[in-house]
Amino acid sequence: MERRKFLNLGLVAAAAVLAPMTNLNAVDFREAKPDAWKAEKSADAIKAMFGDGELKTTDKIKFVAPKLAENGGSIPITLSTDLDIETIALFQDANPRAATIVFSVPEGQKVDYSFRIKMRQTAVVTIVAKAKDGTLYTLAKEIDVSIGGCGG
Amino acid sequence: MGKMKIKAKEKDGVVKVKAMFKSLMADKEEAEKKKIEAAFITYIVGKVGDKVVFEATTSGFMAENPLIKFSFTGAKKGDELSFTLTDNHGKTVTDKKKIK
Repeated sequence: MERRKFLNLGLVAAAAVLAPMTNLNAVDFREAKPDAWKAEKSADAIKAMFGDGELKTTDKIKFVAPKLAENGGSIPITLSTDLDIETIALFQDANPRAATIVFSVPEGQKVDYSFRIKMRQTAVVTIVAKAKDGTLYTLAKEIDVSIGGCGG
Repeated sequence: MGKMKIKAKEKDGVVKVKAMFKSLMADKEEAEKKKIEAAFITYIVGKVGDKVVFEATTSGFMAENPLIKFSFTGAKKGDELSFTLTDNHGKTVTDKKKIK
């Protein structure tokens, strides 16, 4: 028992030291990064969420979205990639706040998500993905919205 | 808030999941316009046993009744997939479904 306790203590201490920089899984991003959810512009939200790191434009992430969305209340988005991603997030400039959804990809799983978002007006949608090695990838697409969602 | 529909199917080791969560997903501004209370899901976590297979932090800018499709590996038929939702008031709801 003694030894087990001691080991556990060690593990907890190690986890506490490592937690801020490595394993972001099992983190509620709303609690961890409150500023990112208040930012109005994508650029500010990305900075608050991922820091000042350099953003690399990539074509290795598949980002499927309609060019013209007839109904801004429900815009289908698909994200998939074979890259080793830790966190992938979607930001847009159409709504009062930029951050829309942040996925924490569990260990060993691949990014393959489909979901729907709301947009008030035509705007650029930015995807930012953080790889396991810390590299930040980004890609953006403009989506035309003919009828705004979000009650607008 | 609270209801959800989960469909999970395993094939060749990959489990494909479709999940719909009932929520108005009304953010502050939208709620004011419609004269309702802001209500949206802020956090979704999906687990098989103790293993997290899906995790997302969301905002009110997801479409109403968000439908999320994703796939994961490492589970088999008969395993139970459970989802826990947290809304903007801090309430949580859990539901589970067997993988087919």
